[in-house]
Amino acid sequence: MTDSPLPDSGEAGHASVPAIEVENLSKTFKGAVRPALDRVSLKIPRGVIFGMLGPNGAGKTTLLSILCGLLKPSSGRVRLDGHDMSAETPRIKQVLGMVPQEPAIYPTLTARENLQYFGRMQGITGARLTQRVHECLQMGELEDVADERVEHFSGGFKRRLNLVVGLIHEPQILILDEPTVAIDPHSRAFIHQRLRELHARGVSIVLSTHQMDEAEQLCHHLAIINQGRIIAQGTLDALLQTQRDGCIRMQLKRPPPAGFDAILRRIAGVYAVRVEGARIRVNTEDAGQAVFGIVDALREAGLALVSLSFGTASLEEVFLALTEHPGTP
Amino acid sequence: MVESLKKLATSVRKETRIILRDRQALILFFVMPVLFVLILSLALRDAFGERPGATFPMLVLDLDGGEVGKAVVTAFAANPHFKVERRGPPSPGQAALEQDIRKGRYRFVVIVPQGATAQAKARIAQLAANFPPERLSDPPVQIRMLADPALRSDYRFMVATALAGILHGVEVKLTGEQMVTNLRALGYPLTLPSDMTRARAFASVRDEPLHSVRSGVIPSSVQQNAPAWTLLAMFFLTVPLSVSFIKEREQGSLARLQTMAVPGWVVLGGKTTPYFVINQIQMLSILLVSVYVLPLLGGDRLDPGNAPLALILLGASASLAAIGLGIAVAMYARTAEQATAFSSSIVMIMAALGGIFVPKVVMPPLMQELATLSPLAWGLDGFLDVFVRGGGVRDVLPESLGLLGFSLVCHVLAVLRYQNRL
Repeated sequence: MTDSPLPDSGEAGHASVPAIEVENLSKTFKGAVRPALDRVSLKIPRGVIFGMLGPNGAGKTTLLSILCGLLKPSSGRVRLDGHDMSAETPRIKQVLGMVPQEPAIYPTLTARENLQYFGRMQGITGARLTQRVHECLQMGELEDVADERVEHFSGGFKRRLNLVVGLIHEPQILILDEPTVAIDPHSRAFIHQRLRELHARGVSIVLSTHQMDEAEQLCHHLAIINQGRIIAQGTLDALLQTQRDGCIRMQLKRPPPAGFDAILRRIAGVYAVRVEGARIRVNTEDAGQAVFGIVDALREAGLALVSLSFGTASLEEVFLALTEHPGTP
Repeated sequence: MVESLKKLATSVRKETRIILRDRQALILFFVMPVLFVLILSLALRDAFGERPGATFPMLVLDLDGGEVGKAVVTAFAANPHFKVERRGPPSPGQAALEQDIRKGRYRFVVIVPQGATAQAKARIAQLAANFPPERLSDPPVQIRMLADPALRSDYRFMVATALAGILHGVEVKLTGEQMVTNLRALGYPLTLPSDMTRARAFASVRDEPLHSVRSGVIPSSVQQNAPAWTLLAMFFLTVPLSVSFIKEREQGSLARLQTMAVPGWVVLGGKTTPYFVINQIQMLSILLVSVYVLPLLGGDRLDPGNAPLALILLGASASLAAIGLGIAVAMYARTAEQATAFSSSIVMIMAALGGIFVPKVVMPPLMQELATLSPLAWGLDGFLDVFVRGGGVRDVLPESLGLLGFSLVCHVLAVLRYQNRL
């Protein structure tokens, strides 16, 4: 993990009203054998970056589409910023911003024309529109290409414009579908930075992603969705704790000599050892105690360590463990 | 409402900007239909009913230089359907004449043989002297007509009949002259009138085509082609319209608009209004070209009739029908390729069925019945009401209502599909 998620920046006065509240939400498409969403319930606190993880076809996009008002649920209720989605759609649409996975912009218009168009469609006019267009171009660092047609932009620039178009009306809730998929590391870092800035300003952000490192870097609240169901949700730390075990993982400078696994097995509390080249995985009853004996054994054998970890699983391990065994959080 | 109308204006501006930046599409929208009308109206002039300016190039090879050749040249030169060239002796020969016809220089060659007039006069004199026909010294004069083999047989028959009529007139004149000569010899001082045409018992047949019959009228080339290609161009806009919708759907910009407080009719109106305007410009440009440019190129001028309101009504209804079809295709097609293939196929089938390529009146009865299924046929009938039958708003109302009904059905189907997708 290279960066830690930001703390919640939700305003205390609004903390009691979640940004998004989903109750028993189900969606079954016509002709489908099983529901795309099956009684999903979710509370997304105000002012957080909320990550939605799940394998392909898990139901992430369906859920995001319902939250954006693009799909109607078969049953269940959605409240955004305290407003019932089915009853107060126009009001909700004003506080909601959406950033789709593919750049949802007009390629034959310029960046400025795109921002002006979507700004006007959000009801922004006159001096405020001019100001917002300028701010969005600045935020996307697109001032130099503002009057160039989008069709000539690189993939990264298109993503930047895609992001800031979703912000033209200063939404309080921002929903992003895989915002950094298939872009270069610089553009990815740029988008991450903008999301952190928005979070610091109090914007509630919901994003779906496949990238575990992105979720770990950005999100402090997460939900894992699989086969239309939320199988785990909570803060990043809480999720990592769910898969805590007595496993110790080591990476050595060189592979250990034959018979070294037998030495490790003799250490108190160790019950299984697996050696794969220079990588060793040791299962223990109490990793905190066993680690001392293991370090001593390595020193005696003259083996140098590259890395050693224990105590928590990585998000990827949690994700894999949960999605391989659905229904066992 | 004011807010929504402002958003509609913004959407129309955006869509117009996108369309104007697509030069290839602009050529397709405006230049192609006008070119089609020009080319086909000029090329197919002979294939339609009235052709006041249509001409067949004709050579009269007058080896005689007498009255027969003069009468043939004078009669055909007075007919606007022929462009007559007279050539005297010597004869270029059969092969050269055939070559001229093959090259399209002449559609007909009429050969008046040397001594034709003298031979005719001699034969008439002998007949007047009560010689039995089998004892006449001169055979009947043989006038020959060579014709382009590509010409329809009814055209050849009509020219041969006309030629026979002309020769019959010459024969009557020569017979009259011979009778006067004979009577003078018997002591009757008779004279023939100097202008024989004024002495005719029958006036020329007056051609009076009817203009208020509802069916069976064969339009001229331009009367058929101008509205036919206007309608086809209008309906072909279903292709870019449906593709543009699908592209927006694929790009996600349509979904983005759905997440905003923008009414559905604003999105729809913003998208379709520029196409409606394009349709009207297409109609206006084709009409203007047919009225003012086509005659300059030697084609027939389109008489636009006296009912501009009827034309506006037809143009608007046809456009709304085309837009409705485009939206319906966009809702049912999954990809832009599918929309292109489907909308262009359906428009071509409706056009073929609706008498766009071949006028409905020359179709067999069964095809004429089937043609009534095509909205393009309704539109074409409406235009022919105005251009050929001198109709007005009331006359085109059934066709316009049909087109508007078609548009409504398409819109309802599109909305049902859209709701089904949510």
